[in-house]
Amino acid sequence: MTAAIEARGFGWTYRGASAPALHGLDLVLDRGEMLLVLGPSGSGKSTLALALCGLVPHAIPGVLAGSLAVDGLDVATTPAPVLGDRVGLVFQDPAAGIVLGRVADEVAFGLENRGWSLERMRARVPEALALAGLEGFGERGTAALSGGEQQRLAIAGALAAEPATVVLDEPTANLDPPGMASVFARLADLVATRECAVVVIEHRLDAVLPFADRVLALDRTGGMLAMGTPDEVGERCATDLDRMGAWVPTAWRPFLVRHGRGVSRGAGPVPTPGAADALPAPDAVPAPGATLAPAAPAPVPVIARLDRASIADPTVAAGPGRRLLSDITLEVRAGERIALVGPNGAGKSTLLLAIAGIVRPADGTVRVAAGGRDGAAPAADPAHLRPADLADALALVFQEPELSFVASTVREEVAAGARPGPGRDATVLSLLDRFGLARYADGDPHALSRGEQRRLSVAAACVRPVRLQLLDEPTYGMDREATDEVVRLLDEARRDGAAQVLATHDPRLLPSCDRVVGLDTGRIVFDGSVAAFLAAPPYEPAGPWRLEAAGEGVVR
Amino acid sequence: MSFLPAPLEPVRPGLLREVAPVTRLVVAVAWLAAAFVGVDPRVPAVLLMAAVVSLATLSGLPLRASVRRLAPLVLAAAGLALLTLVLHPTRTDPAAIVVVELGPLRITAAAASAALALALRLALIAVASLLVFGPSDPTTFADSLVQQWRVPDRFAYGTLAALRIAPYLAADWSSTRAVRRLRGIEARGPVGSLRVAGARLVALLVSAVRRGERMALAMDARGFDAGRRRTHFRPIRLGVRDAVVLAAGWAVAVVALVAGAWG
Repeated sequence: MTAAIEARGFGWTYRGASAPALHGLDLVLDRGEMLLVLGPSGSGKSTLALALCGLVPHAIPGVLAGSLAVDGLDVATTPAPVLGDRVGLVFQDPAAGIVLGRVADEVAFGLENRGWSLERMRARVPEALALAGLEGFGERGTAALSGGEQQRLAIAGALAAEPATVVLDEPTANLDPPGMASVFARLADLVATRECAVVVIEHRLDAVLPFADRVLALDRTGGMLAMGTPDEVGERCATDLDRMGAWVPTAWRPFLVRHGRGVSRGAGPVPTPGAADALPAPDAVPAPGATLAPAAPAPVPVIARLDRASIADPTVAAGPGRRLLSDITLEVRAGERIALVGPNGAGKSTLLLAIAGIVRPADGTVRVAAGGRDGAAPAADPAHLRPADLADALALVFQEPELSFVASTVREEVAAGARPGPGRDATVLSLLDRFGLARYADGDPHALSRGEQRRLSVAAACVRPVRLQLLDEPTYGMDREATDEVVRLLDEARRDGAAQVLATHDPRLLPSCDRVVGLDTGRIVFDGSVAAFLAAPPYEPAGPWRLEAAGEGVVR
Repeated sequence: MSFLPAPLEPVRPGLLREVAPVTRLVVAVAWLAAAFVGVDPRVPAVLLMAAVVSLATLSGLPLRASVRRLAPLVLAAAGLALLTLVLHPTRTDPAAIVVVELGPLRITAAAASAALALALRLALIAVASLLVFGPSDPTTFADSLVQQWRVPDRFAYGTLAALRIAPYLAADWSSTRAVRRLRGIEARGPVGSLRVAGARLVALLVSAVRRGERMALAMDARGFDAGRRRTHFRPIRLGVRDAVVLAAGWAVAVVALVAGAWG
């Protein structure tokens, strides 16, 4: 039987690039095997995904080296639609690719496009749904699915046409831990049927590593670092990956220690001199900041206070309707970092918008401290502050950096939010320098890479010294090095007394936080220390929340 | 925000749910054509009556929700009719037949007739479009356009994909406002407001293009528009029911026209 994927010295150089994005790749993968591809940002992981489905070389210009065959078909000579039939693709954001209104129709879409007969489709659609764990979902609306269900629907759609390989490019970046676990468990079942090979590109490794038969590790230049079983690759290159700034799974921690080199710097978010330093492991002593919450009254000023605040769902017309947030009572204190966690749709982003006064509570109150650094108690309603005063009081970093850009150059982007005055240009330049963006100062923000865009949006939010920073998924889709950078910048602001609220799906960030606030269907279900949260996550199932956080985040 | 009236969840069986969406569309277009050809208000009156009866008995749509959906449109129609009543050009015509005269208010018979016809026509548009789009979802509508009328796949399903992106763009638009407020950027004067609005539009455009690209990539990855003949998972066939609805619908249009000409 032909291999699902066979690469011999495969490489790819994008037109106009001086160096290859991917080079020297040797790889054989059979049906019934799951390959995990890992490596730092820019190591060519996504290029590999594009090559497997024929977009490279057919839709994207560049130069190919060596050979790559998918299900026995050479990608260089086989037309892209034919290759596309042999490979199913699943993208990062499932909602961005759903075309139709009904689940069964969405799965059948790819089969209709390929001219399947009605009888074959009627037989295959329920099979594909079952493989993705969506039995009985056929007649449901696609819009009403949870994030995890949407991603499993994308998987069903990708494997419906019986491809030899299913490629998933960071399939869980948008998912809460249980959603992520459900996706990987399904992939494992799929591999067990030996129907197809599975290629997973991931940054969140602990959950996927147990299912992987083989691991391909790439380096920063797009070269092959190692290929083999998880243990072989871990032993050979865990330390190299760590030094390159890639995430390293917890299971490989012993390899770091054995080589005696990987201990110089954490594989998790950068240890901070303050709170997180005292947190070598989640089950150990809680961070000092965490002990403040919630009973012990501390002499630390309160920066924001929500009192029984509720936010109505704008999509529901009049009447009591559904609430996006209900009865939120919360105090945010100076110098503390709160991790805001919860399942997809729990209301994390809405809570950040409510604290910033962008959405107004239907009941209850939201108050923030305004009036500069030395402002008194939280007395101002953020919804009624003038923009200039609001920008002095707090900053919010949106999840989509692109949407938040207000200027046409990187320099102006940061300057736009700065307080007018003589020292402004110098402030802007020094910020760009610290964020590693100085060389792009006159470039267009939209031309930056995603990681750079994220850094720019954080830089723009830091240009005025504020007492409250609100961040929505600040490390979304980042490798460990980029995550470290963001956490380091946040640490500086926290040392200067800023309060921070971080909405995140990534439990690896928790050890750098002082306190966890857990949301579920619009209500606060947990408010306490990081250690207490990790010991007993208030979610069902709790396992996935525990697993990752106890692992990669605190590799030392 | 959606450009098509969103489908209401049908609660009962109904003949109109059983026919192809294009059949409903053809009847509705015939009714609207008749209503605008017939000058006499009796034409739209008969058609509106037929539309309301169809909505109540044949559509399978929940009545209460339908009324709620129609209320704003009917109110708007009433408002426009009132304006026509008061501001009709014949109000200054000394020869016109006057129905009501109250101080400066002078309502002529011609104005009353025109206002009534306008109100009835607008209400008919509202009820008829609910009859067309309400009983099935946009996917079925696109399927029917492709299968019955050979509308190109690229157009029909491309439009569906665009409709799915629309609500995101509405949210993106409010984000661009929030971002500026949070950064302390205030528009000063009319020129400033224009500049800010322009910048927000550019941001929205960038986001629309990016969302569109992602959607297109996802569709390409599943073999869409690769030059092959598509098959259909939900075949829609025209049958006896369609013939009945079509014939009855046209008969109603003829009756309405006759009723208008007769008077």
